[in-house]
Amino acid sequence: MADVVVRVEDLHKSFDDLEVLKGVSMEVQRGEVVVIIGASGSGKSTFLKCLNRLEEPNRGRIFLEDVEITGQKTDLPKVRRNIGMIFQQFNLFPHMSAIQNVMEGPRTVLRMSGERAREHASQLLDKVGLSDKLDVKPGQLSGGQQQRVAIARALAMEPKVMLFDEVTSALDPELVGEVLTVMKQLADEGMTMLVVTHEMQFGERVADRVVMFDEGVILEEGPPEKIFQRAESERTRRFLNQLHWEGE
Amino acid sequence: MKYQWHFEVVWENFPIMLSGIGLTIALSILSMLAGAILGMVIALARLSPWTWLRGLAYCYTELFRTTPLLVQIVWVFYVLPLVTGIAFTPFYSGLVAFGLNIAAFMAEIYRAGITSVGQGQTQASLALGMTNAQVMRRILIPQAVTRMIPPIGTMWISLFKDTSLVSAIGVTELMYQARFLAVDTYRPVEIFTVCALIYFVITFPQSIGVNWLYHKYRTRE
Repeated sequence: MADVVVRVEDLHKSFDDLEVLKGVSMEVQRGEVVVIIGASGSGKSTFLKCLNRLEEPNRGRIFLEDVEITGQKTDLPKVRRNIGMIFQQFNLFPHMSAIQNVMEGPRTVLRMSGERAREHASQLLDKVGLSDKLDVKPGQLSGGQQQRVAIARALAMEPKVMLFDEVTSALDPELVGEVLTVMKQLADEGMTMLVVTHEMQFGERVADRVVMFDEGVILEEGPPEKIFQRAESERTRRFLNQLHWEGE
Repeated sequence: MKYQWHFEVVWENFPIMLSGIGLTIALSILSMLAGAILGMVIALARLSPWTWLRGLAYCYTELFRTTPLLVQIVWVFYVLPLVTGIAFTPFYSGLVAFGLNIAAFMAEIYRAGITSVGQGQTQASLALGMTNAQVMRRILIPQAVTRMIPPIGTMWISLFKDTSLVSAIGVTELMYQARFLAVDTYRPVEIFTVCALIYFVITFPQSIGVNWLYHKYRTRE
């Protein structure tokens, strides 16, 4: 049974003379959690941003549930509703309270009534453990709390897939756990997720598949046990070793 | 040098000077409104995805920022009617010149305010499925406005003083009346002194207000 949510064919992306993605292909099944690892500059974040076309790929095709979203006539706002994205820098709207941040998508994009949007948003904030912060502005929240609001904001659109772009990299170490816990919970509930991260423990425990990016291509991929313990490529092993050193 | 000040002349003609203040204020407010609206159009053009439109808006702002205001005023008054066949009264010529000029500066203030909000906000909004117009209206402009208020205040004050330049084309505002009275009464020293004082009395509180705005919105960030 192949229930493919995202299919990517031969994706290329260059910034001026620098080719960042050199032909990446991937399929993501419904409910699958794909963790993408690789050194900085390997193209993993760019790959994620191409999936909802915040970056415009130069070549290749992307399908969301069998509908191509790389065509000229693609209604981008409509496509992006179905693809949640969480950023390294949270990017909450600072002029809005936590609940307004979560309501913004449903209200502005889906034209949901204020009452329904508010109820839904408060349920989502409850889910990420912030039911006591509904009316607090992002500036008054810790990084971990902000990132959880950002996750609730993305969930409010009821996306078919969620993209996590190094979402714990800007956090103080003691705040990383609370964000990863929410992400694990989403994974357990069957959310389809693509996660770019340096948190290898998260990869080991939550990922269905780990994909190693290197210089704009997929170097190797497989179940976490295989990648973390018996990686085929010397480069992958060296990359993982290096992380260990940094983590000590 | 011992100069005999004769301020009676000023008091005798004070109603005439006051009548000029009304036009000064009217010209300032109307120019500001026109410039604020036209400036928004130009700012959006400068931020548009189309290169030709950005180029056009860039040329517009640079044209008005790199030529003297007095030249613009005189040009609109004397040359524009010849080119277009539309003749304005001096007041409307002044309004057109100031409106076009202020628009160029307002466009820069808007643009700087909007671009200062940061790429992350735009990306997060687009990722939610917003259209470009929604991103502008819901996310960028509300955040940009507080950053724009102080520079707009500064510009308003220079606009208010600069309206004195339209005396050159015969708009009967404060400066024009002062020049008229100076010639008429042979008392330029007293008249221009009081004229300067009137500008100061009106502008100084506004200047304090603008400083207050700077403080208020700086601590907010």
